[in-house]
Amino acid sequence: MDETILRVHSITKRFPGVKALDNIDFDLKRGEVHILVGENGAGKSTLAKVILGAYVPDEGEIFFEGQKVAFKTTRDALEKGIAAVYQEFTLFPYLNVAQNIFFNREPRNKLGIIDHRKMERDAAELLRSLNCEYIDVRAYVKKLSVAEQQMVEIAKALSYSPRIMVFDEPTATLSEREVESLFERIHKLKAAGIGIIYVSHRMQEFKFIGDRITVLRDGKKIGTVGINEVSDKEIVKMMVGRDISQVFHRSANVFSGEVLKTETLSDRAGRVKEASIVLNKGEIVGLAGLVGAGRTELAKLIFGVDPIGGGKVYIHGREVNVTSPVHMVKCGVGMVCEDRKRLGLAVNDSVAWNIMAVSLKKYFPRFIIYYNKAYDIVEKYKTQLRIATPDVLRKCKFLSGGNQQKVVLAKWLSMDTDILIFDEPTRGIDVGAKIEIYGLMDKLASEGKSILMISSELPEIIGMSDRIYVIREGRIVGECKRAEFSTDDIASQMLGIVGDAHAS
Amino acid sequence: MQAEAVRGNRLTGFVSGLPPVAWILFVMVVVFSFASPNYFELRNISNIFIQSMPLMLVAFAQTIIVLTEGIDLSLGTQVSFVSVLWILLCQYGVPILAAAAITVAVSMGVGATNGLIIGKGKIPAFIATLGMQYVLYSTSLLLTAGASISFSDYLFQFVSETKLLFIPLPVWITAVMFCLTWVMLYKTRLGASVFALGGNPDAVTLAGVNANKSLIKIYGFAGLLTAVSGLIITCQLESAQPIVGSGWEFEAVAAALIGGTSFREGKGGIGGTILGVLLISTLKNGLNIARVPSLYQSAIIGTIILAAIIIDVMVRRRRNG
Repeated sequence: MDETILRVHSITKRFPGVKALDNIDFDLKRGEVHILVGENGAGKSTLAKVILGAYVPDEGEIFFEGQKVAFKTTRDALEKGIAAVYQEFTLFPYLNVAQNIFFNREPRNKLGIIDHRKMERDAAELLRSLNCEYIDVRAYVKKLSVAEQQMVEIAKALSYSPRIMVFDEPTATLSEREVESLFERIHKLKAAGIGIIYVSHRMQEFKFIGDRITVLRDGKKIGTVGINEVSDKEIVKMMVGRDISQVFHRSANVFSGEVLKTETLSDRAGRVKEASIVLNKGEIVGLAGLVGAGRTELAKLIFGVDPIGGGKVYIHGREVNVTSPVHMVKCGVGMVCEDRKRLGLAVNDSVAWNIMAVSLKKYFPRFIIYYNKAYDIVEKYKTQLRIATPDVLRKCKFLSGGNQQKVVLAKWLSMDTDILIFDEPTRGIDVGAKIEIYGLMDKLASEGKSILMISSELPEIIGMSDRIYVIREGRIVGECKRAEFSTDDIASQMLGIVGDAHAS
Repeated sequence: MQAEAVRGNRLTGFVSGLPPVAWILFVMVVVFSFASPNYFELRNISNIFIQSMPLMLVAFAQTIIVLTEGIDLSLGTQVSFVSVLWILLCQYGVPILAAAAITVAVSMGVGATNGLIIGKGKIPAFIATLGMQYVLYSTSLLLTAGASISFSDYLFQFVSETKLLFIPLPVWITAVMFCLTWVMLYKTRLGASVFALGGNPDAVTLAGVNANKSLIKIYGFAGLLTAVSGLIITCQLESAQPIVGSGWEFEAVAAALIGGTSFREGKGGIGGTILGVLLISTLKNGLNIARVPSLYQSAIIGTIILAAIIIDVMVRRRRNG
């Protein structure tokens, strides 16, 4: 069992201006899950891509099963049996499941006609081996849930009968329940002797699936350690390079007055049912629930994205007619969306434009934009939020996830918005940036802003919130204050099981 | 479309699964038949069919291109160019069938060139094919000095007047081309790449497919369809017409969109396009029979196309929840 399947020897990869990988050694054993962590830009994706043949290293060697290999394309690596499940899906929405799994490798006759029956049979068999026989091989991928799509991705990778599988942040889009079933699959692959490289940000996952961890920082390898030899805090320290006493820091705040209140709020599609919540000045309120429980839907209702079916919304004690996001922005509500790249940010526009877009009217009510003044404002937020960009005219798509999120935040801060709705504010961003975002949230709250936060990550919700509402099947099923928080309680409320704590 | 329609297990399921455009078409036929008594004559119905075949082929071509998130603005002028080239070759003494074969090859070459410019040259389809449209438009007019050129051959009457099992030959030819296109789309790797290119272009390359080659083949295939369209219309008119296809590229886009094909995610198929073309042709024919002045016709057609697409989008949205 204890056999090295892949050895990477002093790999260096340079990009214009940076050394993305600096003399990295790495090895993977058969039947092991080797976790690769590091902040964004640390080089973990680059290393994964070198192993997958997507990048050709400048220096160094790769040995696969003792043989020296030099991959030029992902296809070369695939043929050797190194497959990947990428973070961004590589599926095609209007091809069916079988077509997706065997894309460009379809079984066909001499005339080039595809044998759909054989393809569907093979696809069904692959899915069965993953305990996913409920996925219809003839359904369009578009119609599947995110978790099902993830399984199709895995089936696709498995169809190459790989010896090594690389998972690049596979849980970023999954809810906790889905993550659990993914881990089960990974355990099975492991038992089958497949070596697994698992790239991730999520600390709480490591202990469940990992055997060893390699930490990268700024393109250098900080160390490889056995999973049971280190604590979470030590890992974070290795990643960030500084001591963090607490990931979640909350100042003691005094709350005064209701700023936002909903009364039996429902939508028209039946995803939110009579939800009543209150948000006080200076308070961070967490909205916990599984994906699909109605968390995002409730937020969208309050922000005016979806039409209201019944109930009322009060802001600063006055009832408002929630008509559109534009109207809600005028009322002082801002929303940081889950899908930042699609909804929160114009990725092809500059940092400056993104920050100023909403508030132009406020600063320049007379139609003419004074650029010097505008840049002063932008620079102010750049410094205040420590947005790492060489200049504010850089397009947002070149920024890391954490910095993009800060740009979104700056946008609302420039509007002087006092009610902020955060939907998965730290999704897909690295630990260092996460801690900064948490710090910002805390600072905003102590300055008297109010935050409604939605998150799939329980530690985050419990760590940051002053109060938590639990939502299940569209209804608010529980509420508790910071002093009463317990992971088990909240989790069982989310899932709808009465826990031991309630029975006693 | 097929997958959605098949879902229901009884007739009711089938009917409610039909794309909304089918209903709109039905309503339109009923309205027209009330508006003019001779609308329902068999001859008229069959006229609609025969006359819409050339547009149908162009619409198939446009549909597969729209599925790749592209557009081909040169399709209409390709039709005219095919018509001109065929007759000119015949005039120079090339045997008519050989001339047809050469013309088809040239048209496929024109399409492939579009694909090459778009793929290798990384020029947006809109711009690349707009350029091609101008070039072909001008070429056709230059070659014919701006006039139509008559030519007579028995083949023309044969194609436009022969009936097989009561169905005119152009309809048969179109049916064969439909089958060919269907097989290409659903039974070959090229077809899978059509849906894939529209759905997730980056992933196409990751899967080891040469996207540029696929684009060349796809636009080349579109060239084949427009060539057949041009040959049919030339037979029907018995002459080379340098501007006969002008504007068809847009009618073809409208037909594809009405038929449920989308510019996003590689969604749609050629089945719906048939209904889209029939809707446009029925509309034009009905307006003519009802003696609506031609100046009004375009406005009415435009409005109805817009309405059809809006209704379609709304119905689909409701169905999908």
